[in-house]
Amino acid sequence: MKSEQSRATQYYRALLRLLPFDFRSDFGPEMEQVFAEQRAEVERGASKVGMWRLWWETFRGIFTTAPREHLSMLRQDSVFALRMMRKNLGFTIAAIVVLGLGIGANTAIFSVVNAVLLKPLPYEHGERLLLFRQGSPRSGLIGNNVSVPELMDYRRQNRSLDGLVEYHNMQFILLGRSEPEQVETGVVSWNFFDLFGVKPLLGRMFEPDDEKTDAPPVLLLSFEYWERSFGGDPTVVGKTFRMNDKTHTVIGVLPPFPQYPQENDVYMPSTACPFRSNPQTIANRQGRMLRIFGRMKPRLEPAQAAADLSAVAASMQKEFPKDYPEGSDLKVEATPLKTELTRDARPTMLFLLAAAGFVLLIACANVANLNLARMVRRERELGVRTAMGASRVRLFRQLLTESFLMALGGGLLGLLLAMGGLHLLTAYVARFTPRANEVHIDSAVLFFTLGAALFVSVFTGTAPALARRDSLVTTLKEGGSHATLGAARGKMRSALIVAQVAVSFLLLIGAGLTVRSLINLQRVDPGFRPENVLTMQLSLDFTKYMSNESMLHFSDSLLEKIQAMPQVTSVAMSGEFPLDRSPAFNGQFLVEGQQGNATDSKPVAEFNSVSPDYFRTLGMPLIRGRAFDGRDRSDKPLVAIVNQSLVRHLWHDQDPLARRISFDDGKSWTQIVGVIGDVRERGLDQAPTDMIYVPLAQYPQMSPGLVARTQGDPMNIARAAVQHLYEVDPNQPAGRIQSLEQFRADSIAAPRLTANLLGLFALLALAIAAAGIGGVMALSVSQRTHEIGVRMAIGARPAEIIRMILGQGMSLALAGVAIGLFGAFALTHAVKSLLFGVTPTDPLTFLGVAAVLAAAAFAACYVPARRASRIDPNIALRAE
Amino acid sequence: MFHVLLALAGGDLHGYAILKEVGLRTAGKVRLSTGTLYGIIKRLLSDGLIAELRARPAEGGDDERRKYYRLTPLGRQVAAAEAERMDEVLAIARARHLLKRARTA
Repeated sequence: MKSEQSRATQYYRALLRLLPFDFRSDFGPEMEQVFAEQRAEVERGASKVGMWRLWWETFRGIFTTAPREHLSMLRQDSVFALRMMRKNLGFTIAAIVVLGLGIGANTAIFSVVNAVLLKPLPYEHGERLLLFRQGSPRSGLIGNNVSVPELMDYRRQNRSLDGLVEYHNMQFILLGRSEPEQVETGVVSWNFFDLFGVKPLLGRMFEPDDEKTDAPPVLLLSFEYWERSFGGDPTVVGKTFRMNDKTHTVIGVLPPFPQYPQENDVYMPSTACPFRSNPQTIANRQGRMLRIFGRMKPRLEPAQAAADLSAVAASMQKEFPKDYPEGSDLKVEATPLKTELTRDARPTMLFLLAAAGFVLLIACANVANLNLARMVRRERELGVRTAMGASRVRLFRQLLTESFLMALGGGLLGLLLAMGGLHLLTAYVARFTPRANEVHIDSAVLFFTLGAALFVSVFTGTAPALARRDSLVTTLKEGGSHATLGAARGKMRSALIVAQVAVSFLLLIGAGLTVRSLINLQRVDPGFRPENVLTMQLSLDFTKYMSNESMLHFSDSLLEKIQAMPQVTSVAMSGEFPLDRSPAFNGQFLVEGQQGNATDSKPVAEFNSVSPDYFRTLGMPLIRGRAFDGRDRSDKPLVAIVNQSLVRHLWHDQDPLARRISFDDGKSWTQIVGVIGDVRERGLDQAPTDMIYVPLAQYPQMSPGLVARTQGDPMNIARAAVQHLYEVDPNQPAGRIQSLEQFRADSIAAPRLTANLLGLFALLALAIAAAGIGGVMALSVSQRTHEIGVRMAIGARPAEIIRMILGQGMSLALAGVAIGLFGAFALTHAVKSLLFGVTPTDPLTFLGVAAVLAAAAFAACYVPARRASRIDPNIALRAE
Repeated sequence: MFHVLLALAGGDLHGYAILKEVGLRTAGKVRLSTGTLYGIIKRLLSDGLIAELRARPAEGGDDERRKYYRLTPLGRQVAAAEAERMDEVLAIARARHLLKRARTA
């Protein structure tokens, strides 16, 4: 009986915990007592039903009362908090701005992380979409692509896929509008979009009949091209356009979706491509021109799909041994499409998210410190309220409510900042991933912001409340005010300052390393002179330029016309030019006298075919021998020029001029006539590859680039150059026209923006931390006016006072730097992949950052130190 | 809320007694639980309609956790005003023949 009674009391007490603390402490014991009497009465009635009913009513009563009480208390606290915030408007604004910057940075970066890394792909069953690569590590056969017979085998023999589709890209020429237009075209299987679950915005998708050999040519427009080039015209479906030599009908418009591997203007079924539908291509196992995407069956892992397709590859090798090099070990790799789409973005975005998180931490520590400082002034108010019966929990709740309102204000400001900067951020992210268009402020981002605000309010509200512990009683006591209280809060404030400096140090190191990388990138010698060079990418009409002679005639005529322009000092054409982001054309070759065994791996180099003035136009230095000239035509001996890197790797810097190489297993031999300087073809951060240059006249190109060195701004002659192109062939469009300098700038745009963003974060952190140190030292000086007055009265000189205050401030700053140093050594290795030409523990950066931080701290401490040195001991001593 | 005021109009009571009184007067139609009762008491206290008694009636052997409450003059006025308002409403209802006859209180 007794135990049952105590258990009932326990249950009841547990129920009471739902009520606000104050309510409980006012009425709790009384309620318990009343409940005990109620129970006693029911027990006298000895009815089970009565007891149930009592519990039920009690339950209901508490559950309806508790929320009401909490709400009314929140309302009360908020009204009071708002009044306090208005009274300290300066503090409130400072806190909201600091928190707003911190939360804004996080909201903005999180909106990117959320859209790019967290959200599933906007495709149907996006998590089951895979990109397959096939390669044979042992025989040096590596690449992204497969041939048509291989695709057919994979499609027929796999057991793990719901579908397998192909993709390749080409340039078609769209005629009949004001100018001929070069359109990027994705050439795909009829069910390509079905596999991705993309539904048409207008019209229809491809159907099986569209991919039949003699089907009428059809066309799907991408959303972006439709908007850009047709102004979103809804009547475009059903219209026809002449493209190259065929008339194509627009059957539909695609919705906006992230396009991979590249953005295309239009899509066509695989039969539209004359190369792809050529019977020779269809039969050729080694004509690898297709990328393949597949969708796994449910509940499979990418590794299982890869193993399944690798098994197919093994049987292919067995069946067609002559198509695969001896000893090759063909394997298939499967990569989830999401990984592929976000590969470049992930490390940078996570780095930025961490940096933004650090900024928020610093902002929190700073506002917590402001709060602590303010407590000094509010000590009396809080003390009075305690004396009047407000419990400590009640005051804590009050402080938390204030912090929460402040954080909410900061969150709101942060949200506005994030929304304001979002379009800039989207443009930046687009350099990393095709998912950039998905970035916006959605409910997940709003929840994140709210969560950040909650975190901030707990952080900034708890610190002062903790520092107040055990200090309440002393508050009202005469004279007991500063000594004891100051110690608890002083320690907390110092800790917060040290933390701010330490985290700022980390951020500055991060920014410093990125900026150093950027400077290194900008300083890197690309091996060519990019200034004052116009570039024009061309893609010849494959239905017209079918012979080498016709291609050669085209390039000769165009070069002649451009060279005749007065602003042009030299002009050339080539298969590719540096930094143009075209895929590398790699190939194997033989060196005369170094053939070795058939099973030995042959040397590999990147090929480029260039017209005579290419090296001169780009400013590449000729090291040895001669450049190409008018003699090197198709009917003359084959010649090549190699770069220094190849000479170094292959012949250990020995003279290569007498040597001959072969690209066709010794059927014909090519004489090396010159050595040219190395060029960073693939990016300023990529080491030069081994290059072999051949004359354009001996190896004409279907998609050449034109480079012209000019006097003055190269873009000035762009329009005239296009007119000359139309004079040569009125139906031949120009592709991208851009200065080479622009390509160079674009190639480092992403690291530059990352460095800017990080630099901004770091400066923000530095400013907040410096203001924090200055504020704390100023407060400490004003609290110690009396003590400083005594010191000066007994003979301390102003310089000594300055030294004392500075010493105190700097010891905090240096402690922060020391902790930051440890943190930086531990953390910077994580960002190694984002750096260029600088180690994660670069001593110069570390020293520089420490110096900057120390200088900022010194400046921040100097102002209060000076004020301290000017204290008049007479006034100071009288004031107390 | 009104019921608690009515209960206290008859004299000073402690919490449990208020609960019992309300139950009795309404023939069990209004059943307060501890939670709702003290929610009401808190509001009445802060509005100054009732007051907690410092001195407890000399009954002896009383549980010391018990607190007694008394109607303040303001509380009495408010209760009276509310009763009058209800009376007027009832008069109207009777005039419209919504109630059969006047019940003698």
